[in-house]
Formats: sequence, structure tokens, C-alpha cells
Amino acid sequence: MIGLEHILVVSSILFSLGVFGVLARRNAIMILLALELMLNAVNINLIAFAVYLDPDLIVGIIFAIFVTTVAAAEVGLAMAFILRLYRSRSSVNVDEVNLMRW
Amino acid sequence: MGIEWAWLLPALCGGAFASILFLGRYTPLRGAPIAIASIATCFALFWFFMSDVVTDGGRSFERFWFEAGDISISLGMTIDELALVMIGLVTTVSLAVQIYSLGYMRGDPRFGWFFAMMSLFAASMLGLVLVDNLLVFYVLWELIGLCSYLLIGFYSERRSAAEAAKKAFIVTRIGDVALLIGILVLFTATGTFEMSEIFAQADAGEISKSNLNLSAALIFIGIAGKAAQFPFHVWLPDAMEGPSPVSALIHAATLVVAGIYFLARLSPMLVHTPGVLDSVAAVGLVTAFVGAFLALTQNDLKRVLAYSTMSQLGLMVLAMGSLSFGAGIFHLLTHGFFKALLFLGAGTVMHAMNGELDMRKMGGLRRVMPITYVLFLLGSFSLIGLFPMSGFFSKDEILVGVLDERNGWLVAAGLAASGMTALYVVRMVLMVFLGESRSEEARNAHEATPTMLAPMAALGLPTVGLGVLALNWGNFGGFAEFLHLPPGGSHEYKIVPEIFWPSLVISYGLLILGWRMYYRRSRLTPSIVESRYPRLYAFAANKFYLDDLYQWIVNNVVLVVSRSIALFDQRVVNDKGVDGPGKFTAFVGRTLRYHETGVIGTYILTIAVTATLAILIMVAVN
Repeated sequence: MIGLEHILVVSSILFSLGVFGVLARRNAIMILLALELMLNAVNINLIAFAVYLDPDLIVGIIFAIFVTTVAAAEVGLAMAFILRLYRSRSSVNVDEVNLMRW
Repeated sequence: MGIEWAWLLPALCGGAFASILFLGRYTPLRGAPIAIASIATCFALFWFFMSDVVTDGGRSFERFWFEAGDISISLGMTIDELALVMIGLVTTVSLAVQIYSLGYMRGDPRFGWFFAMMSLFAASMLGLVLVDNLLVFYVLWELIGLCSYLLIGFYSERRSAAEAAKKAFIVTRIGDVALLIGILVLFTATGTFEMSEIFAQADAGEISKSNLNLSAALIFIGIAGKAAQFPFHVWLPDAMEGPSPVSALIHAATLVVAGIYFLARLSPMLVHTPGVLDSVAAVGLVTAFVGAFLALTQNDLKRVLAYSTMSQLGLMVLAMGSLSFGAGIFHLLTHGFFKALLFLGAGTVMHAMNGELDMRKMGGLRRVMPITYVLFLLGSFSLIGLFPMSGFFSKDEILVGVLDERNGWLVAAGLAASGMTALYVVRMVLMVFLGESRSEEARNAHEATPTMLAPMAALGLPTVGLGVLALNWGNFGGFAEFLHLPPGGSHEYKIVPEIFWPSLVISYGLLILGWRMYYRRSRLTPSIVESRYPRLYAFAANKFYLDDLYQWIVNNVVLVVSRSIALFDQRVVNDKGVDGPGKFTAFVGRTLRYHETGVIGTYILTIAVTATLAILIMVAVN
């Protein structure tokens, strides 16, 4: 059968892909996407634990709902940043955003 | 008006000082009347206090001041016969000098400030002779030093005056440090600053010999500084840069004798330190000699008087060192009057000669200023110690005391110093008043105004008459008896033939010798001495090269040390210690700032790596 470990492996693969995306992408929106991927991986993790370890205790599922909510709010905020950035520089390349340096 | 009001004396003069400072410009004559009114009131009060002390004797008053831990310091006032004598001297001479200054300092742009400082000085000096507390005494001692500094440097535009003021303050400061340490030694040994307490403990034998001797020695060093004893005397001749009233008041009658007064005040303690007193007497004798010797070679009128003061102070110190405290104070009193008179006379001469003080340019002033001449002559006779002037009696008393306590050799030395006194005084009077006028200014000189002459005449009275105080008639047992200072024993005035006749002979004899030397141009004229013994003459004329020695010490020792300390302060304390942390912080900042690359990627990478490491460590630990 499909055991817990299989789902955890999937979620960790997704999480790593997300980390890679955040670190390696130049486009700000792509970084956002990767971030969302990471959050989703975490969600899968939480729900897997909830279902496999203790079906009566739905704490994991409630936590997953919180995470989703926060993710949504955060995306809204991040989009606002990116829109501001694009309006002032006509580009969303994060490599160019390096004015706050020494 | 009993003596419990004695605190009014310094308070009035202090108030006068403050008033002149703040209100002077609104009053006529820039506040001088305030000063004179206050000192005249003090003078009047003195007579009330005198009648009180004469009838009821001296008393002490005490007021609690403050407490620090288990040390309580109280402020007390002691008015006994000694304090009374000092009050009399200070008020009388101050009054005379201040009235004189009305005429002498007229037209000076800082007229008001002069009188303000005179008042401050009077306040400090009067306070000094009243207090019972060593700490307050020290504060007032420093205060009179400050007034001296300010008044010597009164003509601050003159470089020489500023230098002289500095010199006076620094030299006396060296003594003051010793004085402070001496007072503190006493404090640690006895636990109190109060003199009456300390004397009681000393008499009861509760203070160790070493402590007593140490503090007495240190205190005497302090006194030697202010009283221009050898080798601290170098400031006194230079102090003549100040106006003549200042020289009369401060450097003849009051400030320089503050130390002598202090010795008398400490007499209950000093009877327990005979070793120190030996040194005191020795220093006094040396000073008397050196002063008289140097006075003989000076050509500046005021400097002759300055060295003369130094010599007479040496005599007073000799008396103190021979346990003749009463005789010393008596000489202090008479000297105060006749020396002040002489200085005021010198000021009159200087005024008349348009500021010229070189005696070689004077001469024949007797004809143009007869009153000054007569008064100056009276003062000079008293200085020489001619009978029956007051100076004779006081000097005689000192010599009698020295004979009693010490030996005849010292008396002979004292008589020799008196002989030298006669010589230089005759030389001075001759060069200034007699003979032919040697310059334009001398021919055009004029007599002084009444404002200046009246105080001089007033000072002339005690100069001539005060000698009677030494004698005992009726209820009055003589001056020393009146003061009843330790070591007790009757020191009533007695005519000791071994002293009386030699003293008489020497004073009159050398008077005549001096006359012959300097007037009749006999074979011993100074120019002949100069040509025969050039090196000795140069030695004396350059004041024993002491000034040069001190300057050398200052340049090569003091300044070298202070330069190296300054270097240490700059290089180590400032550059390393103070700038160091700042520079280090800046360095750290400069190095660490590279961490802010501004590139978001690095930030996220750092977070990711750190988070992973943290989790791995947590797992490994568990």
C-alpha cells in the first residue's frame, strides 16, 4: 500500500524543487511561484501526518488550512511589492535590486 | 558689641567685595567708598572687640557645619589676644592703604576692581585670623594667595607684571601643597580639623612624635613659601610689579605675615616639636642674612624694601623658632606699620618721579617732598631699630628671646643682620632723598596730595609710639604677657645689657658708617667693591643666581617631565584609549558591511543553508 513514507518523500521532493526555484530564479514572480510550491509541500506533509497517524485528531488538517490562508495573504502582499518594483524599474529581475548594499 | 560679632569683620568686607563687583558701576568713584566704608567699620569694630577682650579675655565660639560618615567638621571662631592683634593690624593698615589708594590709583581704568580686590583680601585675611578650623584656614590661605596673584598682576598689560604674578602664585603653591599635606597628616592622626582639639590631644600626648614632627615640618614649608623664607623668597622682589599700595598692604604687613601668625597660633603644638623649631630658627636666620645682603645691592627702591621685608620676616621666623612667639608677633606688628609706611612713601616717590624707581636717578627729593621725607625717615629709623622707635623694642625683644632659648652666637648673628639693615637703609635714604638730584624727573618732582600723605602720617604714629607696648606698666604686663602664648613663663620686657648696648651701638654706629660710605664717598664705595671683587658683586647683584637656578630646574626638570606626561596622555590615553574603541568599532563595521550585498539571492541562500544546518544539528543531538 501507499505508506506515510511515500507521501513524505513526495512532499520533500516538492519542497526541494521549491527551494531550488527560490534560490535560482531571477524573475520575482517565478520566485513567488516556487515559494508557493514550498508551502504546498508543507501542506501535503501536514495532511499526510494527520491522515496516517491519528485520523480522529484533525489538528494537522486545521493547521494546513491556516497555512493555506497565510500563503494566500502573503501572495497578495508579495504581488503588491512586485508591482511597485515593476512600475519603478520596468523589470522584475531580482538580481538588479541591489541598492541596499554597503 | 561683644566679640561674638567678630564674624561681621570678614562678612562686611566680603559683602563690600560683592557689592563693588555688581553695583560698582552705579556708584560714584566706582565703588571705592563701599570698600572704605566697610574697612572703616571693621576698624571701629576692632576697638569694641579690643575693650571686650581686655576686660573679659579671649573666647571661642563654635558652630556645627556638616558630617561625612563618622567625621563631623565644625566651624569655629576663636578671638583671643592674638587674633585681636592681627585684626587691629589688618584693619588699620588696610584702612590707611585704601585711603592712600584713593589718591594713588586715581585715573586708573580698573579703579573699582582694585578696591573690590582689596576688600576681598581684607575679608580673607580677617577670616583667616578668626577661624579655628584648619580646613577653612587653608581655604582662606589660598584665597589670600589668589588676591595677591590678582593684585600683583593688576597692570596686566605689562608682561613683567603677569610673569611676576605667575611666579608668586606658583612658588607659594609649592609651599601650599606641603601645608595641605601637613594639615591632613594632623587630621589622620587626630581625627579633627579643630585647632583647640588638636592642641588638647597634643598636650595629652595622644599624637605620636613622628606625626607631630612631620606635620609641623610640612606646615612650616608651607609657611616658608608665603613668608618668603629662603629659598622660597624669589617671588617677593618680583611682586613689586604690583601697585605700591598692594606692596604696602600685602607684601609687607599682612599676607607675608599670615604664616608667622599661623606659627604663633600653632604654638601650643610647636612646643612639642623642638627639632622642627631648630630648623625654623635656622631658616629664619639665613633668610634674615640673605635678605639684608641682597638689599644692599639693589638699585630699585621697592626691591630694596622687598628684600628688607624678607630679612625682617626672617627675624620673626627666628623668634618663632626660639619659642619667643610673643616677641615675634610684636615685631610682626611694628614691622607691619613701619614697612607699610615705607612702601607708601616709596609709592609717593614713584608717583612724583613719574613711575621711575631706579634710585640712581633720584636724589635731593628732600627739598621737594619734605613731609614724605620726614615720614620715610621715621620708618627707616624704626627699620634699623634705633631707639626709641618701635622697631627697636620689637627687635630687642626678639634678641632677648633668642638669647634665652638659644645661644649667644645666634644673637651675634642677629645683631650682624641688624647692622646690615642699617647699611642698606642709609644707602636707600641717601640715594633717594639727600644729595643732588640726578635726573630731570627728580628735579621736577612734587609733594604728594593730602589723601596720600594723611594715611602715611597715620601710620607714622604707631611706628614711633608702639614701642611702649613692650613695657609693663600698671596692669599691663607687656605685650608678650598680653598674648600669653606658650611656652608661658614670664617674658616681660627686660633690658638685657648684653643686648641693649650692642644693639644700640651697632644701629647708631652703622648708621654713621653708612653715611660715611655713601655720602662722603669714602674708600669703601660700592663701585670700588665692584671693581675689586667683580665675581662676588655679580653673585650678589644677580640674587645669588637663584632665579636662574630655578628657571633651569623648571626648564630641564619640570617641563621635561610634563612634556613626557603630555606625550603619554596624547599617544596612549587619547589615541589608544579614547579613539581606540571608536576606531575599532569603525573597523569592525567596515569589515562586516560586506555582508550586506543587497542581492536578495544571497540572503535567501543564507537562510536556507542556516535552516538546514540547524535542523541537522537538532536531529543529531537527539
